[in-house]
Amino acid sequence: MIPVTVVAGYLGSGKTTLINQFLKETESPIAVLVNDFGELNIDAELIDNQDSLTLSLTNGCVCCKLSDDIGVSLESLKGKDINAVIIEASGISLPIKIANYGLSWPGFSLKGILAVADGQSIGTLLEDKFVGYTVKGQIEQADAVLLNRSYGLSLEALNELNKNIFLEEEVSNYGDLLSAKYFAKHFIEENLKEHATFQSSIFTSNKPIKREDIKKYILLNPNIQRAKGWVCEENGVCSLLQMTPSECNFSPSDFKSQTRVVFIYTGKLSPPEF
Amino acid sequence: MEHLPKMITVYIAKSIITMNASMPRAEAVAVRDGKILETGTLESLQPWLSRHDHKIDEQFKDSFIVPGLIDPHLHPSMAAVLLPTYFITAMEWKMPWGTTPATRSAVEYDERLKEALSKPTHGELFITWGHHNLWHGPISRSRLNSIDSKTPIVVWNRSFHEVCMNDAALELLEIKEADVENATQIDFEKGRFYEIGLGYAIQKLNPYILAPEVFKEGLLKLKEVVHFGGQTTIADMAVGLFDFETELNTQAALYENEDNPFRVELIAHSTVMQKGNSIEQAEELIAKLPERNSHRLNFRKRVKLFTDGAFFSQVAQLMEPGYIDGHHGEWLSTPEQFEENVRVFWNKGYAIHVHCTGDLGLELAVDTLEKMQDEKPRFNHGFTIEHFGLSTPEQVFRLSRLGANISANAYYVHELSDIYSNDSVGYERASSMARIGTSFREGITTTLHSDFTMAPAQPLMSMWVAVNRINEKGNVMCEEERITPQQGLEAITINAARVLGLDHEIGSIRAGKKADFTVLQENPLEIDPIKIKDIDIKATVFEGKVFNLKSQ
Ligand SMILES: [Zn+2]
Repeated sequence: MIPVTVVAGYLGSGKTTLINQFLKETESPIAVLVNDFGELNIDAELIDNQDSLTLSLTNGCVCCKLSDDIGVSLESLKGKDINAVIIEASGISLPIKIANYGLSWPGFSLKGILAVADGQSIGTLLEDKFVGYTVKGQIEQADAVLLNRSYGLSLEALNELNKNIFLEEEVSNYGDLLSAKYFAKHFIEENLKEHATFQSSIFTSNKPIKREDIKKYILLNPNIQRAKGWVCEENGVCSLLQMTPSECNFSPSDFKSQTRVVFIYTGKLSPPEF
Repeated sequence: MEHLPKMITVYIAKSIITMNASMPRAEAVAVRDGKILETGTLESLQPWLSRHDHKIDEQFKDSFIVPGLIDPHLHPSMAAVLLPTYFITAMEWKMPWGTTPATRSAVEYDERLKEALSKPTHGELFITWGHHNLWHGPISRSRLNSIDSKTPIVVWNRSFHEVCMNDAALELLEIKEADVENATQIDFEKGRFYEIGLGYAIQKLNPYILAPEVFKEGLLKLKEVVHFGGQTTIADMAVGLFDFETELNTQAALYENEDNPFRVELIAHSTVMQKGNSIEQAEELIAKLPERNSHRLNFRKRVKLFTDGAFFSQVAQLMEPGYIDGHHGEWLSTPEQFEENVRVFWNKGYAIHVHCTGDLGLELAVDTLEKMQDEKPRFNHGFTIEHFGLSTPEQVFRLSRLGANISANAYYVHELSDIYSNDSVGYERASSMARIGTSFREGITTTLHSDFTMAPAQPLMSMWVAVNRINEKGNVMCEEERITPQQGLEAITINAARVLGLDHEIGSIRAGKKADFTVLQENPLEIDPIKIKDIDIKATVFEGKVFNLKSQ
C-alpha cells in the first residue's frame, strides 16, 4: 500500500514552500497532488521531476461526487514507481476529510497529517468569522504542526489545540539536519508513528558542559530520537553534536558561544541536570 | 423587398396573462417570424391584421397562455447521469414517461424493485436512484441478493452520497474484497460505499453512467422533461461539472435544432475554467466562450462562483448557533480566494452568480458584494444569490440595498423543512429557509429554480411551494414567507428573465418579444393555490412554433 501524507494549512501558511523545499531534497519518487484554486505555485520543474499531478479539491459539493479528482488521481498512481503520496490540501480543507483518502481509497494507507501555520496570522485566523472553525480544525486534526514566523508568540493557545507544535525557526537554526525539509522528510518518508508524538525542547547553558555528560543523558533517555546543537566545554571549545538513532557524533566547529542543543523526543523527557 | 414577411398567426385564449404590468391581460396575441407583433384583442389587433396575411389559430381558445416558463438554474449533465436510472423515491416524481409514485416503506421498496427487475428492459447493469434510509430502511448486499442475485443491481441513495451493490454488481465491476478490505468507508460485507468509498465505486461505475450513448440518452430524456415542465428557457448553471467539452458538444448536437422547444443559457463554472490557470486566465477563457454560441445555446457575460457546501448534505455554512449536533459546514474556497475571484469578474463587468446555501455562506457573499460596491460601484449588475437556503432578514435587507438578485430553491421548504426542524437546525430557522416573502417585500428581483436534479424541473411545482410553503408532512412552514400567486408567476417568468439578463427578449408577452408561451388548462392566478402544481400543461410555444404535450 502506498502511504499518503496530507499537508494542510490555511492560505499563505507556507505549505507550498515546505513541499517545494522537501521535493528539492528528496530522492525517492513521490507524487504530489495539489489543488488548483490559484493559491498554489509549485515550481513546474520540480513537479515534472516528481511525476506530480494537479487536481482540484471541490469538496462539499454534491455535484462533484461523480468526478472525484483525488480518487481518480490516486487510482492513476497505482502500479507506478511511487514511494509515497503527498496531498496538499486546499486552504479551506479540513485535513481529516482529505486524510480519508489515505484511509479509504483501496491500495493506499494514511501516513499522517502535517499542518503548516503562519505565526503572524494564525491568531487572527482562529478568530475569523468565516474560517475560524476550519483553521482550528486544521491545527487540531494534524499529527504535527510546523509553525512559521513564530517570533514572540505565546504558544499556549495553539498548544491547547495541538501538543506537537514545531517552531520553524527552532528547527532550522542548525542548518540542514533540523531544517524544515528535514522535518518534512521525516514526516513523509519515515515512520510516522514515532513522529506523530514528537516533542522538542531546547537546552541552553552558559556553564561548560562535558561531551560525555551529554552522551550519557542521551543514552539514559532512549526516547530521544534526534539531537543537534553545539556543546561548549571547559576550554571554550565548542563541537557540533549530531545524533540519530544509529549514531552520535561530535565534530569540530568554529562556533564560539554557549551550549545550545535541540532534542526531539517522544513521550516525556526530564531536562538534563548538568 | 426581397422576401415578403411571413404570415401572421393570431392565437386566441380564454385569457393571456402577459406579466406586462401595463397590459396585464389580453385575449389575442399576434405572432410573426417567431416574435410577438402585438397583444390585445382581435379588435385592437386590426391595424396589423387588416394590412397583412394572417390566420386565427383557435387551438388554445379554451386555455390560458402565460409567458414561456423559465428555470434559471438546473444541471443538464447531472440530469443526463440520473435520468437513465430507475426511480424509486419517497416523493412522487412526475416524469413525461410516467409518474413515479411515492414509495414509503421497506416492503413497498422491495416490491417496486422486484417489479422493475422483472421487466426485460434494463441493460447489463441495473441502477436505481432515490433510496432513503428513513423511508426505505437500511439497504445491504444481502437484502439486494435476496431480491435478485443474478442481475447486477446498484442502489444509489437519494442524496447521491452512497451506493449499495449486490454480489452480481460487485462481480461485474470487479470489486474484490482483498482490494478494499482496508478502506474504512467501504463496507464490503454490506456492499455499501460512502464518502471516499463512493468515489471509488463511482469510478468503477463511470464507464456505465458516463458512456457517451448513456449520456446522450440522459440529455434526450432531459429534453422531454424540460418540455413536460412547460419550460421554454433553461439555464445550465455550471457547464463542466463532469467534462466541459463533452457537455457542451453533446448539448449542441442534441438541442440545436428546429425540433427543440427551448433555449439553454450556459453559465461557465469558474473553478472548472480555472483548472491550472490563474483567475485572470480563467476570465479570458470565459470571455471567449460566446464565440461558440448558436441560436439556442448561448454563453453571456456571466459566471458561477461558490461559497459554501451543499444544502441537502448539511454542509451549508451556518452562523451562530449553527447545527444542533454541533457539526460545521464546508467552504468551497477560502474567503480570500472568493473575494479575489469576485473582484476580477466584477471589475470586468460580469453578472456573478454565487452558490450560497447557509447564512454564513450568504454573509460572505454579501460582505464581498458590499466591498465591491465600495471599490467600484455598479448598477443593475446582476449579482445573484443562488439557492438561498438559510438567511437572516437583515441579510435580505442588505442584498436589497446592494442591488443583488435572488434565485431561490423553494423546494427545500417542501422536502427538507420538516426533517431539518427535527434533526438539523430547529424549527425557527428550518421553517424560514428560502425566505422569499421577505425578498419580495424588500423589492429584490426574485426567481425560483429547481437545481434539477435536486428538485423536479417543473416551475409550477416551484411556484406551488413558494405560494403554499407546504412541506412533505402537509404542514405550512412560515406562512409569513409565502408569496402571492402573482409573485409566484413573476418569479418563474419575468423575474427569471431579468436574472438571466434576457428580460428585453423573453419573460413577458408584449410587442417585440420572442413568442415563447406556455399554455395551461387553468388560470394559475385564480385556481385554488393548492392545485397550482397539478395544472395541466397543454403545450408550449417556442419562438412561434407550437409543441404540444400529451395530456398529463
Ligand atoms: Zn446547482
